[in-house]
Amino acid sequence: MLTIRNLECGYGRLPVLRGVSFDVGAESVGLFGPNGAGKTTLISALLGMVRPTAGTLELDGQNLAALSTYQIARAGIALVPQERELFPAMSVADNLELGAAYIPHARDMIDERRESVLGLFPILKERFRQLPGTMSGGQQRMVAIGRALMANPKLLILDEPSLGLQPSIVAEVFEKLAQLKTSMSILVTEQNVRESLKAIDRGYVLENGRVILEDTAEGLLHNPHVISSYLGI
Amino acid sequence: MRRPLSFLIPLLALAAAALLPLVSGPYPLAVARSVLTYMALAISWDMLLRSGQISFGIAGFFGLGAYAAALSVLRGGMSPILSILFAGVFAGAVALILGLVILRLRAVYFSITTLALAEIFRVIIQNWSDFTGGPEGLVLPKLIFNGESKSLYWLVLAAVVIACAASTMFEKSRIRLALSAIRNNEQSAAASGIGIFKYLLVAFVVSSFIQGIVGGIQLQGYGFASPDAVFDSNYTLLPLAMALLGGIHGTPGPVIGALLLGIAAEFLKLHIPYGHLVVYGIIIVLVILFMPQGLYGLLRSRRHAVAPVAENRVDAGAWGK
Repeated sequence: MLTIRNLECGYGRLPVLRGVSFDVGAESVGLFGPNGAGKTTLISALLGMVRPTAGTLELDGQNLAALSTYQIARAGIALVPQERELFPAMSVADNLELGAAYIPHARDMIDERRESVLGLFPILKERFRQLPGTMSGGQQRMVAIGRALMANPKLLILDEPSLGLQPSIVAEVFEKLAQLKTSMSILVTEQNVRESLKAIDRGYVLENGRVILEDTAEGLLHNPHVISSYLGI
Repeated sequence: MRRPLSFLIPLLALAAAALLPLVSGPYPLAVARSVLTYMALAISWDMLLRSGQISFGIAGFFGLGAYAAALSVLRGGMSPILSILFAGVFAGAVALILGLVILRLRAVYFSITTLALAEIFRVIIQNWSDFTGGPEGLVLPKLIFNGESKSLYWLVLAAVVIACAASTMFEKSRIRLALSAIRNNEQSAAASGIGIFKYLLVAFVVSSFIQGIVGGIQLQGYGFASPDAVFDSNYTLLPLAMALLGGIHGTPGPVIGALLLGIAAEFLKLHIPYGHLVVYGIIIVLVILFMPQGLYGLLRSRRHAVAPVAENRVDAGAWGK
């Protein structure tokens, strides 16, 4: 379980997160907000790429703030970054293997994890020896999600998974996420609130570095602020 | 078919290299020894390059190895073979200590620091006259194998085998993925659980160890070390050029590059004395401009051409659109 309490962090003297608190249990949680709300900064803090100035970050009771990025990954957090961030000179096979090769609890089950990922995204079998740069945006997103799943994470974080994808592919991304939420905790940041509400159990709305709203997916779908600000109705 | 060949070609090449002293005269053998010396240095340089870190410190660790070997023999009474091993261990140990600091640097900052390190080593050794012999250098009373050229050649060949073995180990183990990931995207590599600093340090130490060993062998081959001779910038520039010509990020590239450029250099020296380095430079510029992946990279890209995307997109569903 991910527990965040009164988290504050920023860049130099510029505060971005101002006392953020939330939890992610055995569920799928959405984090919504406009550009500049602090979503990516929050993910950077979770991954140890930005250091908190106050507050606590814990995964199953383990203090994440004291760990480096690679130690956090080994502790069980896997990230699907906003820009896909694949390794362009490495084949799909290598990109997937790399997801598990350096994670102690996943290293011994690489074949098993690979089968599971290829089961979820069968098209990757055909692209196995291909370089990601030669693939479509949707397929690259699959490789990025697949690489994160190879780590057999306790918590899967997806930073704006729909960014730059056509609507039909976005729908498929969220369909896959809905399948995954039974086997791991998921935290997804999104601006495409309508699609993501179909895949999550609960959600938080982050504005100006503060959580201003927390509710179930159903509750958010009918919330007047969410409707006017994020659903465009 | 590829797998047996991938074993057979290096084995045949090694057998041919090992048999060369039995069929060649002293001059070709001296050229071959020089080529092998640069080959080992080129392979070691490439091993660190696979992480994206460009070192200009080859001559520094090579020279350090030569002096470590010389001093261990002259001041410590070490046997020649042990002194070569000591040269590698000493260069590796210095790399370990310095690496703790300089491997925090990236890109051009790291490269310039390694260049400066080589110069710092040279200045220290040149000015520490009581211990190192100063600008006049050190002379060994006796050469290894009594200076017998065939044995010396085999010794250098052994260093190349060690370099190839270490390099192949890098390619076949998890280090390959780690170094490749670090080079491609450091932040994503860390987010995949890769302890970046650890892998950079391993690559830097192993690479410097090999350079130290080669420096030790060079000293035992010539029986002499002076700051200007062993810290010569050619020991940095030539291996670098050879790896670039042959192809980087793998063992075959530096081997091919060292063979071609090493032999070409000898030919050029005979026909254009003092002008060969200009031709050398032109070759490098042309390679970087028109063949940045090097000769081996070019061969590989032709053999492993990616299947046409259109063909691959059949039955891709919505993801492939």
